[in-house]
Amino acid sequence: MRRTDAIWAIAFEELSDRLRSRWIWTVSGLVLVTSLAITFLGTAPVGVVGASGSGAVMASLLNLAVYLVPLLALVMGAGVIIDEKRRGVLDLILAYPVSSSEYFVGTFVGYAAALSIALVSSFVPTGIVLSVTTGVNTGEFVRLLLLVLALGTVFLALSFLVSILSRDHARGIAVSVLVWILAVFVFDLALVGGLMIYPGDVPLALFGSALLLNPTDIFRLLAFSWVGSAASPLGLATVAPPISSAVLVVALGIWTGAALLVSHHLFIKRLATDRLV
Amino acid sequence: MIQLEGVAKRFGEIEALAALDLEIRDGEWLGVLGRNGSGKTSLLRILVGLSQPSSGKILFDGQEPDTEAWRRVHRTLGFMPERVSFFEHLTGEKTLRYFARLKGVAQHEVAPLLAQVGLTAAAGRKLGGYSKGMLQRLNLAQALLGDPRMLVVDEPIEGLDADGAREFFEILKRVEGRTVIMSSHRVGMMSRYMDRVCVLNAGRVVALGTESDLHQTLDLPVRVTLQPSVESNGHLATALERLEIGSVANRNGIVVVSVSQRDKIRFLASLQSLEASIDNVRIEEPSLEEVLRETH
Repeated sequence: MRRTDAIWAIAFEELSDRLRSRWIWTVSGLVLVTSLAITFLGTAPVGVVGASGSGAVMASLLNLAVYLVPLLALVMGAGVIIDEKRRGVLDLILAYPVSSSEYFVGTFVGYAAALSIALVSSFVPTGIVLSVTTGVNTGEFVRLLLLVLALGTVFLALSFLVSILSRDHARGIAVSVLVWILAVFVFDLALVGGLMIYPGDVPLALFGSALLLNPTDIFRLLAFSWVGSAASPLGLATVAPPISSAVLVVALGIWTGAALLVSHHLFIKRLATDRLV
Repeated sequence: MIQLEGVAKRFGEIEALAALDLEIRDGEWLGVLGRNGSGKTSLLRILVGLSQPSSGKILFDGQEPDTEAWRRVHRTLGFMPERVSFFEHLTGEKTLRYFARLKGVAQHEVAPLLAQVGLTAAAGRKLGGYSKGMLQRLNLAQALLGDPRMLVVDEPIEGLDADGAREFFEILKRVEGRTVIMSSHRVGMMSRYMDRVCVLNAGRVVALGTESDLHQTLDLPVRVTLQPSVESNGHLATALERLEIGSVANRNGIVVVSVSQRDKIRFLASLQSLEASIDNVRIEEPSLEEVLRETH
């Protein structure tokens, strides 16, 4: 048997199991309803009701993604692997000719596919509505969707790390929510606080580097250059120093890769010492 | 052949297995007996490669397996864990197809296996509707995928009634010729089906062998129950006491004599002289329960 066969078999099983989760579809539905509401009512404050493809609407969609996509990904992955260990399925699979690394990769691929399907289902209907009714730049919306998928993948990788470190599903959810609050609210507040305490003293390069420490800010910076119509209302990103898209993409890749490598290392180590749960 | 040489397993301060030496022959059915915490599951987990020994080594056909060799072992190994919660939304057939893919076993082997464990009729039903016995049979079916050379079975009949347990062993008997290593608390079933028994206590092998080997080694007494004849006039117990072999007890007219293994033949021979006083004789070897009691 080729090793990829086992990986695909595990990925497919995880995908079908995840897609049965009510949580995923509840949050996806929430994202869909909110994004449609933003599309139709986003310009209501200026007296216009109806589908709008203005920069404000695109920026609102981006902000919606910043808030909800990390939460969806983190909570989706809370309990990953350790739940299967508790159910006895992990031990059974590892008694087959399947290595722990193949199991890990298959599980991540399955979860990532499920998350992608959920996100595409949430955002694509809005994109179609925008495209049909307002003639919004389809290319921009596709780039927005790709960014949303990348953001989800980074936080999914982080959720694997959280789950393996937590050793318990409930604790994993609690830590996930903390990570979400830190990434979405606290980090930017702390950065703004720093800028206000030391006005003019923080070099722009340092400020830019600090933004790379938070995947949601990398997402915002990429959106700044990739989704032009949404650029003006993007807050911190607008005052950030210019960082090339390539650097930002690599930074997102490093976040994902590092989270996966560390969680894989911990998984293998704890498995070998019988301390996974 | 599988050899364990000085295999120990520690969890911090707790010693689950202590320098265990054991040889398991090809085709042998080995029962692993012991109370909770005696090290049974730790031993089985090491045998299937789910846990690494803290010290010592495990050899398959004389070779210590590396990662690639474990993969080869896993292709010829069936493992039936004590507790496993399969995906409830899958049917029995889909579950087995999934595990067949993981083992690289052809999908057409699934249907005959389901038939072998008596789940053909329930193959299309979701596992949420399966009884405990059906789930155990499905668990056994996944272990039998790919016609494994060795089966490692952890507490397979716990929670099953006597009929369920017997049914389980009847299915298992069809794989004769394979090596079977099974842990259980149900000593009666183990004595009936296993070739040898390994009794563990606090991570140590306290007895190992066939049931009669264990009786000899531990010298547990044989119980001989004698029904006195009318001609004995109630004097059979006295006559037996005079022989001075074993201890004699009179229970409501029935005489029960406990004789050590080494005196067994001598005692039985001496009954010839009392033939007229005896209507019936029943000889009971000590049960595995007694072996377990004696070794703990």
